[in-house]
Amino acid sequence: MGKRTKGLLAAVAALAVASAVVAATASSRPTAGPIKIGISLSLSGDFSDPGKAVKRGYDLWAAYVNAHGGLLGRQVQLKIVDDASNPNQAVTNYQNLITRDHVDLVFGPFSSLLTGPAATVANRYHYAFLEPAGGGPAVFALKLHNLFFVQPAPVVKCGDSFVAYLKSLPASQRPKTAAYPSLDDPFSSPIADAMQSQLQKMGVKTVYRHIYPAETTDMTPIIASAIAKKPDMIVAGTQSQDAYGQVNALVQANYSPKFLFFANGANSPTEFPSKVGKNNVNGIFSCSDWTPAAPTNGNKLFVAQYLKKYGGNQFDIDNNSSEAWAVGQLLQLVAKKTGSIDNQTIINTLHSGTWSTIEGNLSWNQYGQPSGNDLLVEWVNGRLLPVYPKSFALAKPFSPKPAWGK
Amino acid sequence: MHLFVQACILGLLTGGVYALMASGLALGFGVMRVINVAQGALIILGAYLSYTLYTDLGLDPFVGLLLITPAMFLLGVALQLVFLRPLRDEEREELSLLVTWAIALGIEGLLSVAYQTTYRTTITSYANRSWTVFGYYVSVARVYAFIASFVVLGLLFAILRTTKLGRAIRATVQNPTAARLLGVDTRMVSALGFGLSVATASAAGAVYGLVFSFNPGSHYDLISRLLSIIVLGGLGSLGGAVVAALFMGLAESVFAAEISPTWSGFTFFIVLIAMLVVRPQGLFGARVRGAI
Repeated sequence: MGKRTKGLLAAVAALAVASAVVAATASSRPTAGPIKIGISLSLSGDFSDPGKAVKRGYDLWAAYVNAHGGLLGRQVQLKIVDDASNPNQAVTNYQNLITRDHVDLVFGPFSSLLTGPAATVANRYHYAFLEPAGGGPAVFALKLHNLFFVQPAPVVKCGDSFVAYLKSLPASQRPKTAAYPSLDDPFSSPIADAMQSQLQKMGVKTVYRHIYPAETTDMTPIIASAIAKKPDMIVAGTQSQDAYGQVNALVQANYSPKFLFFANGANSPTEFPSKVGKNNVNGIFSCSDWTPAAPTNGNKLFVAQYLKKYGGNQFDIDNNSSEAWAVGQLLQLVAKKTGSIDNQTIINTLHSGTWSTIEGNLSWNQYGQPSGNDLLVEWVNGRLLPVYPKSFALAKPFSPKPAWGK
Repeated sequence: MHLFVQACILGLLTGGVYALMASGLALGFGVMRVINVAQGALIILGAYLSYTLYTDLGLDPFVGLLLITPAMFLLGVALQLVFLRPLRDEEREELSLLVTWAIALGIEGLLSVAYQTTYRTTITSYANRSWTVFGYYVSVARVYAFIASFVVLGLLFAILRTTKLGRAIRATVQNPTAARLLGVDTRMVSALGFGLSVATASAAGAVYGLVFSFNPGSHYDLISRLLSIIVLGGLGSLGGAVVAALFMGLAESVFAAEISPTWSGFTFFIVLIAMLVVRPQGLFGARVRGAI
């Protein structure tokens, strides 16, 4: 063995020791004092509206737990930092939270775009990553064992309940033709694609399909092209802004399809009516992972606590807040069952059994993908209500959709 | 055929808004040889001001114009005096690109801090109303925006044609040295001309916000479209900019409806490249100064 080889080996060994020391430092956290939980959230930038809703849910859960004796007798302290909706900043934030601030646990950020990179950082340091809002296929494709998406279904299954509802209708009432205008986005267009495939098998003919770029600010030409084909139904793979634009363009064209489904945007109880007009929401379908009236574990408590702290009406609660609360609730359940908040214990424990939260009964595959289904929600008399499956329904769905302004 | 006609209606109405947006840019170049790449950002600033007046004070965007336009005129004069006047004449065109780009980034930064990057639209009570004419729908907001654009453009033409300032501007455009010799304060005219250009941008912003959603970063897309329009119309030619804007609005909409919405924005750049190859001076541009 030459001198240079020996030197190289020594350097590698030194690096290995240094890494081990860093890892040990990161994992040797105090077991007394408050439990510090680090979270990066989009408090500014594109996702600032849902990001703030997630923050409300986390804050509410921490306040509730602390007012009721804490977690395993210790107070919970949230350290929330802003990532400006930027995945790179989210990575930096989690890196800092774990290695500099030595938080005991981390919770997830908003959206799949940030969750994937953030969960990878957490995985590197063997932290469990309970996350409320990263359910896109790209997240599960990372094959991370430490990740748990705290919702009943992966994003791509968002439209399954709508398809099931259409199947439940008599054949004469089902739509014959459909148009699919969708956003070029890893979370939106896959939903419409999955629905298109199922609907075509049902015999619903595709008369228009277009995927538009994220920069599209004027939906009028797209809607003009879609309605020229006179579809019975429009199934739109959307985020928020383009969903509002599509509704406004449809209203201007005075074209009200028999069925109208938006993957996203229409499921925001406060933003959607303010952007498209209160009179134009009735009959619009979307999917949701949670509703205030769902008979799930602890849901009444969450709704009561939310209204006590933030006021308003239960139907105005953003489901991003409930998802965040469910993340905390899940941690509580694990702590209660195991008497520990050790990250490895959390990961091992959650990989077995079914967990009953306000988001329903949750279980995951080895990469954190949940195995349940979302609810079908619809705007009925100005309220966003669950309408399918029947066991969760609070209203009968419109069939067909009422005209605009009705 | 129905879709084609519908697309033409939409396109012409959108083209009217483009015309107002591009006119300020053409004016700025004509008067001062300044390629104002901050025009897009100034339009977005106008859109935000109009949005704020509407959401906070309930002031209709068309009424808000009466407040915003004079304020933005003063801002334009100030920007010219502080940032553009110090530029040396022989390097004005090149340096103005850098300086106005810096202004654009500054405006974008300030808007991002003040409003964050969420998309906004000025949603008025008539935002979603439309008329049906011979089976075609015509959006009320777009018609209002189109009319407002041509009213402001008419005012701009009237100022240039009938007022002393207009004559001084045109004289400066045609021959700054001769204008100076005849007693025109060309420096002041440049400042006032830039002010007019910015005032037009703000008016365009107010109508833009009625029709399109916008955020502080929207100016990148906007300025690339506007530059294509004024190159097509002929740099510095106000009438050319208006005709080119209507043509591009039409082309974009028809392309979106008949071929693909994804590629419709690309029509601007196809036309731009074709124009630069075939007729570099644009449709109505002259090879020498004085085309306004």
